[in-house]
Amino acid sequence: MIQVSGLSKSFTDPKRGTHLAVDNVTFDVCAGEVFGLLGPNGAGKTTTLRMLATLLKPSSGTATLSGFDIVRQPEQVRAQIGFLSGDMGLYGRLTPRETLEFFGSLNGLDAVRARRRIDQVFLMLDMNSFADVRGDKLSTGMKQKTAIARALLHDPPVLILDEPTSGLDVPTARNIEAAVLNAKQSGKCILYSTHIMEEAEYLCDRIGVIDGGKLKAIGTMEDLRRETGKQRLREIFLDLLGLAA
Amino acid sequence: MRFTILKAIFKKELLDVLRDRRALISMVVVPLVVFPLLIGGIARLIPAMQTRAEEEASGLNVSVRISTPAIREGLEKAGLRLVDSENVKAAVQSKSAGAGVEEFAGSPPRISVYVDASNESSSAAGTRIREILTELRDREIRDHLRGAGINEDVLTPFVIARVNVAGERKMAGALYGSLLGYLLVLLMCTGGMYTVLDMTAGEKERKTLEALLASPARRSEIVMGKILVAITSILATAVLTLGSMAYTLKNAPIPGPGAGVNAADAPVENLRQRLGTIPLDASNVGLIALIFIPLAIFAASLMFAISLKARSFKEGQTYLTPLVFVVIFPALLGGLPGLKITPALCLIPFFNASQMIHGILTGEASSANFLVTMAANLAYSAIAFQLATRMFNDEKVLFRS
Ligand SMILES: Nc1ncnc2c1ncn2[C@@H]1O[C@H](COP(=O)(O)OP(=O)(O)OP(=O)(O)O)[C@@H](O)[C@H]1O
Ligand SMILES: [Mg+2]
Repeated sequence: MIQVSGLSKSFTDPKRGTHLAVDNVTFDVCAGEVFGLLGPNGAGKTTTLRMLATLLKPSSGTATLSGFDIVRQPEQVRAQIGFLSGDMGLYGRLTPRETLEFFGSLNGLDAVRARRRIDQVFLMLDMNSFADVRGDKLSTGMKQKTAIARALLHDPPVLILDEPTSGLDVPTARNIEAAVLNAKQSGKCILYSTHIMEEAEYLCDRIGVIDGGKLKAIGTMEDLRRETGKQRLREIFLDLLGLAA
Repeated sequence: MRFTILKAIFKKELLDVLRDRRALISMVVVPLVVFPLLIGGIARLIPAMQTRAEEEASGLNVSVRISTPAIREGLEKAGLRLVDSENVKAAVQSKSAGAGVEEFAGSPPRISVYVDASNESSSAAGTRIREILTELRDREIRDHLRGAGINEDVLTPFVIARVNVAGERKMAGALYGSLLGYLLVLLMCTGGMYTVLDMTAGEKERKTLEALLASPARRSEIVMGKILVAITSILATAVLTLGSMAYTLKNAPIPGPGAGVNAADAPVENLRQRLGTIPLDASNVGLIALIFIPLAIFAASLMFAISLKARSFKEGQTYLTPLVFVVIFPALLGGLPGLKITPALCLIPFFNASQMIHGILTGEASSANFLVTMAANLAYSAIAFQLATRMFNDEKVLFRS
């Protein structure tokens, strides 16, 4: 479903000059699978996901989502994805319901279908109590739930989620994790970035460890244990980063 | 462009603007109050200032050195407080007297009236003294003529009347037109500014742009939807400003002239009477509306492209504020008397629009100028729209960190 091959992205800025934020990354994710992109701050997770969501153009390499090329068919790609970016804001003057109605119509849902889907995601994420409260009056958790609801609303085959539980308390994070597992069960292809070890271990079928823009290792927990000779993901992670545990 | 997507974006952005207090204030409140306040303020201020100066003038001491008793008597009768002085000029200079009158012997005797022209009250007192002296002189002439048995009519062998061929409409249009064109262009810019800033730099700052960009909406549809909302708020501002101007001038209670001022001389009443003659008929309003449309598209697209560069609302404001001055400067030039509008001058954006509004109201707009203005503004709109779309496709602009 997602096939990434040799994807690179370089940024040029006055202070650092040109530097590679993502360096020749290759992996793929199947339908019904959660693939975790695990990496420290500045590793290039967000940049990779933004390229897949066609927000940034790759410097080289490419990827396909549901068979559509991110460089040549960006519009078709965007019709396939539900995208949640790490530091994504919410419309402050719109309620969660209005926000979802807007994104429903952008994704081509008619009014009837939009209403049904909105009711479903509100129920699933336990959002009914604040569905009609303006965005700027919501708590962090409520905002994040709305952002997730927006990504799930149109029932896209591919989900690209960038640190969806960052800044959330355990009950809310669990709520969101449940929604992700639910989506996996219904056969979605899910790319999930995080730097929380437990979450990666618990949710992801396979994990790719990224650091300095490079993929250091890819595999199931078993694969990673074998490769590093360590048991816990935290130790594996530090080992792959070249840091003593 | 897909209509359903465009409609969804337009609807959402419009809802957002209608709930944005800042945008609403600059779009609705400012146009509705600026003009009534301006006219009301001028209307109250001018008579008040005149009355005050006159009141003060009547309380002033007048320093005098007069030898002819009739003159002295005349001034005293008119209610002036006379104070004798050896050096009248020095008394006025040192402000110990508001004005001064000095008589120099000779044939005929010469009378000097001293005033401090930098002081309103002193000037008013001087004017009053001159009026009294003129009246005295005229009375004396009439008395002499009567004594010699000559008819007074010899004094006025003919009467000179000044006839202004500009006509009421042109006069009013000249006043109204320069004020209107200038204020409209200014308010249109400020009215659309907050809307545009909120949709561009504001969205970047609040990080809501990314979700929109990752949706199936095309960049061109997003730009079009947002700019249409900006155009809507600019046009709404223009319509409200025009409406508020028309209403204020036709209906608002303008206070009458201050006490002691002849009604015909009251500048405000005069202004109002002239303004009342402007025909705001369908064809004039239609022509002005036609001028507005390309101007609104141009202003919206230009502000959109500029504020897209900013990372935050505040930064965007600092980019757009100078633009307002750039826009206003040529619009102000339009108010210069004696400026002859040629088709070439109509190539200057904003200036051309305020000039055309002026021209339409005075009935002097030439069709060549009108066409050049429309064509130029449409061309600028197209260029600015292209620029806005290009910038919206540039990831360096959208993801500048
Ligand atoms: N628009 C940009 N312009 C210039 N450099 C950028 C830009 N976006 C990201 N970078 C740089 O690219 C590198 C990777 O950043 P990225 O945001 O992808 O990391 P990340 O793995 O998501 O980190 P985090 O865990 O902190 O979210 C960083 O060095 C960052 O400074
Ligand atoms: Mg990130």
